[in-house]
Amino acid sequence: MSKLLNRDAAISAGFFLLIGLAWEYGVRWSGVQSYLLPPPSAILAELWQSRGPILSQSLVTLTEVFWGFLIAVALGVPIAAFIYFSRTAKHTVYPLFVALQSIPKIGLAPLIVVWCGYGLASKLIMAFLFAFFPIIIATLGGLASTPAHLEEHFRALRASPMQSFWRLRVPAALPSFLDGCKVAMPLAVIGAVVGEFVGSNDGLGNLILTASGSGHTTLTFAALIAVTILSLLLFYGVAYWERFIWWRAA
Amino acid sequence: MKSVISLSGTGKLFGGRQVLQDVSAEIGAAEFVSILGPSGCGKSTLLRLIAGLVAFEQGSISFGGVEVTAPSPEMGFVFQTSNLLPWLNVRDNLLLGVDLDPQAQRPDEATLAALVETLGLTGFEASYPAELSGGMRHRVAIGQALARGPQVLLMDEPFGALDALTRDRLNMELLRIWQRDRKTVLLVTHSISEAVLLSDRVLVMSERPGTIVEDVRIDLPRPRDPSTTREDPAFGDYVVRLSKLMGVS
Repeated sequence: MSKLLNRDAAISAGFFLLIGLAWEYGVRWSGVQSYLLPPPSAILAELWQSRGPILSQSLVTLTEVFWGFLIAVALGVPIAAFIYFSRTAKHTVYPLFVALQSIPKIGLAPLIVVWCGYGLASKLIMAFLFAFFPIIIATLGGLASTPAHLEEHFRALRASPMQSFWRLRVPAALPSFLDGCKVAMPLAVIGAVVGEFVGSNDGLGNLILTASGSGHTTLTFAALIAVTILSLLLFYGVAYWERFIWWRAA
Repeated sequence: MKSVISLSGTGKLFGGRQVLQDVSAEIGAAEFVSILGPSGCGKSTLLRLIAGLVAFEQGSISFGGVEVTAPSPEMGFVFQTSNLLPWLNVRDNLLLGVDLDPQAQRPDEATLAALVETLGLTGFEASYPAELSGGMRHRVAIGQALARGPQVLLMDEPFGALDALTRDRLNMELLRIWQRDRKTVLLVTHSISEAVLLSDRVLVMSERPGTIVEDVRIDLPRPRDPSTTREDPAFGDYVVRLSKLMGVS
């Protein structure tokens, strides 16, 4: 088994190494200018050289994503519960959010920068806007997926509505909620970067914009890689919690 | 015999259609009674009416002389699907009913261990439902209903989804528990032989609208056992008689 795993890992590593080599030598031999497409070796060198600013800008973006996502969860979950339990909310609040969701959020970015300035607030709101809807939908889906036969069982056990909520609906909704978080987290990163594109003084999106604007293509690539790594790390940070919700498959 | 559950003229409508009509019966204390009927006759609905899970329009149902309006802690319900919570282990699933009821007496460790032992679940207390076989899950479900120490056990085709061998084994365990505790048991089943094997009385229901068409007393000696009781010629006679009543010939 572990031999097979090693073989699979070796195949993966070999495949990506091959792509890297093709890129590296393709760029060199074809004579493509490095300000258009730099070779991977130059990008890696840039990543190392500019590690200081890249790390500090990553921290800025991370802060925006973290708060935006957290607020999306903190508001999305109770709103989803409200929509689930209230018939009125299902016919007022829910369609309102569906309509708001249909507005292209990228188009909202300039407005939000005008309203909230070039600092943390506007990016946090962008990250929040991108993450908010998937979390509401996933939480709603999770709550609605509580099996009817278990609800009847809780009634037979004379459980109170509060007991049915905390001890049946919440655990039943957790797997779907976590799936929603896995979708929302990379979206929050996109939201923050879009916000930085539209108006900012720092952050990875700002770095990408200024580097490409000054023809510094290797730094643009290095910043892109940093965004990707940040997004991956945050995604796996969410996926980590799956081990505490082991009943998802049951 | 003093009757514990009493139904008189009970009827139930679903969207204007009569599903149960004029059901009358007396269930005595410590009696094992089966409700036998073709599928769709409303026997599961009847059990839910008795449990206070479903409201009804006609007649009355009383439990211990009191009109049934809501589920009672003195009735344990065992559902067709084992209904365990996947995020709780066997022990916590067994105690779920007790945990949810602030007035319930929590069984002491010795009582709980004896229950686990009776159900053949020793060593599985910390296992989760996904790690158990279908038969074991049903035993946990029965144990959950028993853990609150109810007077009455209502069972809705609890072994319907199991293979014949597991079913026999659980039937035997159920007989053993009943012979020891002498609880009133009301079992809904569509298996004629299961009804004859377990019951003191079998109430036969008609097609929809369901009503009780026959009350058959099963006078087979106790204690019963799936392997020996089925050899009794009287067992075969009861099966034939009930089959005729149900229109299977």
